[in-house]
Amino acid sequence: MRKFSLTLRLQLSLIIVIGAAFLKLNAWYWLCGYGIIALCWAVSLRVPIRKLTGLLGLELIFLSFLALPLGWERASFLLVRSLVCLLTMNSFLLTLPPHSFGIALKGLPLPRALKETLLLAGQYLEILLGEVTQMQRSAKLRGLNGVAGWVRYANASMIGALYLRSLDRAERVYAAMIARGYNGMLPVDSTLRIKERFAVVAMGILAISLTVASYQLALS
Amino acid sequence: MHIPDGFVSVPVAAATSVVSVAALGVALGRSKDAFGVRRAPILGLTTAFIFAAQMINFPVAGGTSGHLLGGALAAIVLGSPWAGALCIATVLIIQAVLFADGGITALGANIFNLAFIGVWVGWSLTQTLHRLMGGSKSRLPLASGIAAAISVVVAAICAALQLAISGTANLGVILPAMAGVHILIGVGEGLITGGVLAYLVKARPDLLPGNDEEQIRSWVVPVVSILLIAGLLSLFASAWPDGLEKVAEDTGFIDLAEQIRISIPTPFADYTFNENEGIGTSMAGILGSIVCFGVAWGIAQVVKPKNA
Repeated sequence: MRKFSLTLRLQLSLIIVIGAAFLKLNAWYWLCGYGIIALCWAVSLRVPIRKLTGLLGLELIFLSFLALPLGWERASFLLVRSLVCLLTMNSFLLTLPPHSFGIALKGLPLPRALKETLLLAGQYLEILLGEVTQMQRSAKLRGLNGVAGWVRYANASMIGALYLRSLDRAERVYAAMIARGYNGMLPVDSTLRIKERFAVVAMGILAISLTVASYQLALS
Repeated sequence: MHIPDGFVSVPVAAATSVVSVAALGVALGRSKDAFGVRRAPILGLTTAFIFAAQMINFPVAGGTSGHLLGGALAAIVLGSPWAGALCIATVLIIQAVLFADGGITALGANIFNLAFIGVWVGWSLTQTLHRLMGGSKSRLPLASGIAAAISVVVAAICAALQLAISGTANLGVILPAMAGVHILIGVGEGLITGGVLAYLVKARPDLLPGNDEEQIRSWVVPVVSILLIAGLLSLFASAWPDGLEKVAEDTGFIDLAEQIRISIPTPFADYTFNENEGIGTSMAGILGSIVCFGVAWGIAQVVKPKNA
């Protein structure tokens, strides 16, 4: 797992996901190709299997509610394609060291402002979840035990309070980031080395070939 | 309302992607103020907040569930529809790429519907209603709640039109179905948006745009008012015949008008579109208003003095 830099991992994952997403509908052979690549990717990243299967199961149940009304034939292809995309991205996310999403993000060819928003949203999601946990604990201490109690406690004012509490912490975190040299991007070098660039180009060519081939087969 | 892969055709996906990328470019340029020491945490946290809120579905009637879209809320908290659109677009990108919630091929359509239509309709209506209600901060939650509810329905209508153009479903079936379900989801959206803003108005009024900050241009209020009347209030218009029609029916010459209509077909006869009552009436009303404005503007251009 160590041999791949974070930027390379994110770029390879995105190439696989975007390539698979643009496959022609019912191009099963080419989807199998992406499936094999995604499996190899998950194995090479040494993703924790139990966590991965749990996450995939949950996401697929949710997706099946959307896809199944389209009919079995169409839904099965869409679900398998989603499985390939989720396998790839979850393998990346589950093997990401804490607070390192920003480093991986820095190497993407996107506008700086968009990258900053993505980075801050990722950072602040943890703050938000932390505040939810604290507020849940406070609710329990006030005698609102269990899910039903918590749901009864949750209302629009509560959501507003959560927003303000998280904002206070987010502002402090942002001030600390600025003090440590953050200027819209993390102060780390995330440029790809020559070998890594070659890997990105090779994967890009492979993905384009598979996706374009799926359309050519349909035309012929 | 996130459209998954396979629901929209390649031309629709391509067209909406081009429009969304262009609009996103403008939004990035226009929301530069949002990237400073003061505003950057608010933008980042609002994005994270809406992402988290969209994960929580609430039940609506008929075994369907909905979740907060947050377009109006984001625009109001950030004080700019461009920053709001950027916030929602970021949420949609994260959801599509990392969680397969909404398709990557349909990302353009989703950004167009939720980040631009949803945010702009919510923002424009909030500004208009807020001003009509007197403009005090205490009225902002009510104005934004109503605006947020309507913005969800308008975004759903856009999604339905895209699905119909893609050939996924018949317009006559998908339009009323999407609008019907999203009216219920819109009620939830309106309650949450209004409730959150009511709390923020009390607890941190400095967070919300004040009277001295970005104000909506003078033309937006009349334009949105016209669209409200033509698009929304027209739905409640009486279906009974007017005075002349009633007399014609009673005295027996109403058939003459019907004969003329058959020989000269009009695209929006009886203020309906595609034989679709309700939504068709709204569309006919909005199109009629746009045509009237275009004709009047054209006449004004012709008759105005050259040095005016």
